[in-house]
Amino acid sequence: MKVAVVNNGVPFVKGGAEYLADSLTRKLEEFGHQAILVRIPFAWEPPNKIVESMLACRLLRIPNVDRVIALKFPAYYIPHPEKVLWLLHQFRQAYDLWGTPFQGLPNSPEGLAIREAIIKTDNTYLTQVRKIYTNSEVTSKRLMTFNGIDSTVLYPPLLETTHFTCDGYGDYVYFPSRITQSKRQHLAVESMRYVRSNTRLIVSGKEEAPEDLVRIEKLIKDHRLAARVTIINRFISEKEKSDLFSKALGCVYIPYDEDSYGYVTLESYHARKPVITCDDSGGTSLVVKDGMTGFIVPPQAEALADAIDRLAADRRKAQIMGEAGYDLVGQLRISWDHVIANLTA
Amino acid sequence: MKVVVATSISPFIDGGATQIASWLTQALREAGHEVDFFQLPFSPLYSEVLDQTLAFRLIDLSDRGERLIAIRTPSHLLRHPFKILWFIHHHRTAYDLWGTRYQDFPNTPEGICYRDAIRRADAAAFGEARRIFCNSGVMAARIKKFNGVDAEVLYPPLLRPEVFRQDNCGDYILYVSRLTHHKRQWLAIQGMLHTKTQVRLIIAGQPDPDSRVYLRELETLAQSKELGGRVSIIPRWIPEQEKIDLLANCLASIYIPLDEDSYGYPSLEAHHAGKAVITATDSGGTLELIRDRENGFVVPPDPEAIGRAMDELYRDRNLARTMGERGRRRIGELGISNEKMLQKLLS
Repeated sequence: MKVAVVNNGVPFVKGGAEYLADSLTRKLEEFGHQAILVRIPFAWEPPNKIVESMLACRLLRIPNVDRVIALKFPAYYIPHPEKVLWLLHQFRQAYDLWGTPFQGLPNSPEGLAIREAIIKTDNTYLTQVRKIYTNSEVTSKRLMTFNGIDSTVLYPPLLETTHFTCDGYGDYVYFPSRITQSKRQHLAVESMRYVRSNTRLIVSGKEEAPEDLVRIEKLIKDHRLAARVTIINRFISEKEKSDLFSKALGCVYIPYDEDSYGYVTLESYHARKPVITCDDSGGTSLVVKDGMTGFIVPPQAEALADAIDRLAADRRKAQIMGEAGYDLVGQLRISWDHVIANLTA
Repeated sequence: MKVVVATSISPFIDGGATQIASWLTQALREAGHEVDFFQLPFSPLYSEVLDQTLAFRLIDLSDRGERLIAIRTPSHLLRHPFKILWFIHHHRTAYDLWGTRYQDFPNTPEGICYRDAIRRADAAAFGEARRIFCNSGVMAARIKKFNGVDAEVLYPPLLRPEVFRQDNCGDYILYVSRLTHHKRQWLAIQGMLHTKTQVRLIIAGQPDPDSRVYLRELETLAQSKELGGRVSIIPRWIPEQEKIDLLANCLASIYIPLDEDSYGYPSLEAHHAGKAVITATDSGGTLELIRDRENGFVVPPDPEAIGRAMDELYRDRNLARTMGERGRRRIGELGISNEKMLQKLLS
C-alpha cells in the first residue's frame, strides 16, 4: 500500500511527535508498504495564522497514495477519501488548556472566534474520516468530552527494542529524560537524602533551560549528595542509554501529569527493570502496576526513597517485577505489528 | 546559516525535480548549514490546482530561517521575507503547452481564468523574490518570454559526482531514465533496428505509474527478430551502485527525451563516468550540455540517424573514449559544481 504519514512541521523544531512520525514511516516501509512523510508547516503567531494554517491544510491534496495517516492539528484536515487519524493531540489551547495559564489564545473577541473556528472545524472534519485512533486514553477522553467523537486507543511502541538487555540488578536507579521542572528530576534527587540502602541515582538528559540544571546542582550541593547522584546533562546515545538500563536496579520516571505512559517506561521494561512512578504522573499508571511491575507512590521525597529501598532490599523481587512489566507491554499490544495492522486496515 | 528548502512533489514519483531539492538540502548540510526541508504534495489535476495554489500561499514561513529556497512550483508562493527561487518549471499548461495537445485545462472561460490566475500568482512570486535562478537556458528564455523576468541560469550538479567511474569501453549503449513515453526509449530501440554492427542497447529505469501499456510496447519492440536479442530492458528503479557499474562499462549513453527543460541528470552522470552522450536535436535542455561530435552526438530524432551514431561509436572506441573525456571537461566549463551552487544560492 502507498501510505502518506501527514504531520505538522515547525521548521527546525523536533520533538516527540516528529520522532513518532519518523518511526511510523520507517516501520511502514519495514512492513512492506511504500511510505512517505509529509510535513505541513504550521504557524500560530499571531493567532490568526492558526486559521490560515487550517485553511491551507484543507486546500492541499495528496495524489497517488492509497492511505493517509494524519497525526496532528491542523495537518489532519488534509482531504483524502482513505484517511485515518492517529491523533496525538488536538489544539489543546482551544480545549482543555482554555482558561488555564497555558491558553495561548487571547481572551478577546478574536481569540474566542479562533477558538470557535477550531472547535467547529474539528467537529466537521473529524467525523469525515475512515477511523480515529489516538495515542492514549487521555486523548480519546478529551475527544469524546469536547467533540463527542469516538476513537480507539493505539499505543505508540518504541522504534527499536532489540538493543535493550538486562545485565543484572546493580546498585543504582536510572532516570533518563529531558531535565525540566515538569519531569521532576529535582524530586528524585531530593529523595536520595532519605534513601537508607547504598543505592545511587543516575539522571541523564539535556536540560531544557539553564535554571533546571542549576536547581538540581544546588540540591546536590546543599545536601552533600554528590557521591550518590550522577547527572549526565547531555543527549546520550541509544547505546549509552541501553547500557545504563542494563545494569540498573530499576527506573525512576515521575513526570507531572503526562498524557502518555512515556517511552522511558517501555525502555525500562524491555531491559526487564521495574519502574517507580508517582500517583500524579498521569499516563504512566497504564503500564506501572503498584507492587506488580514497580511502585506507585505519592510525589514526596520520603515515599520515593522508601520505594527505592524496597527494590534494593529484594533484588529477586525487582527482577520479577521487571519481567512482569515486559509481559504487560505485550498484553497491552504495544507493538508495531498491532499499530501497522490497524492503521492500514 | 539557517535555511528552509521547499518544493512540491507527487508522492512516490521521483524525478529530477525531487532530486534537485533533496540534493541541495544535503549539500547545504554537508557545508555546515542548518536546513529544514519541506516536500509538499501537489496534484496537477485541473480542478484542484487553484485550491492548492492558495494553500501554498497561506503557508507562512516568515521568521523561520534566514532564507527560503523554493524549487518546484507552486512552492515559490510560500511566504518568507528572504525568498530565493530556483525555478525549474512552470505549470506548463498555463504557458507553453497552452494550445497544444498537452493542454490539460479546458478551453472554456473557466479554464482561461485558471490559466490567468496561475500567471498572476507567478508574477506575484517573481515580484517578491530576492533572486531568481533557473536550471537551464531553456527555462531562462521561457521565463523571459512569458513572465518578462530575468532569471540567472544555475545548472544543477550531482550530489556525488566522484562516485562515477570508468572501467571498460563496452559494447552497449545505456539509456537510464524513467520509462515514460516522452523519454522516447522507443526511438532508441527503433534506432537499433538500423544498426549494422553488433552494438547492444540496455534500457533501465522505473516505469511511471500507469505506464504498463508503454512498457509492453517497448518489450515487444525489443523482441523484434531483427535485433537478435541485442536490446535488454530493466524495468525497475536502478540502485545507485548498479547504475555506477552499468555506466562504468558502457560504450556510451543515450538520452533523447522530447523537449526537456534541462540537460537531465543522466547526461551528467554519463559525463562524470567519462562517456559520450547521444541526444536529439529536439531534446531541449540537453543541447546546452552536448555538442555534436564533441562530447557526443546531436542527431535528428530519426531512427536511422540514431542507428548511425550508435554504429560509429561501436566501430571507433577511441572516438567514444575521446568524446567521453571531453564530456568530463565540459562539466567544468559550464561551472556545474556543488561549490558554485551553494555560493550562488547563499550569496
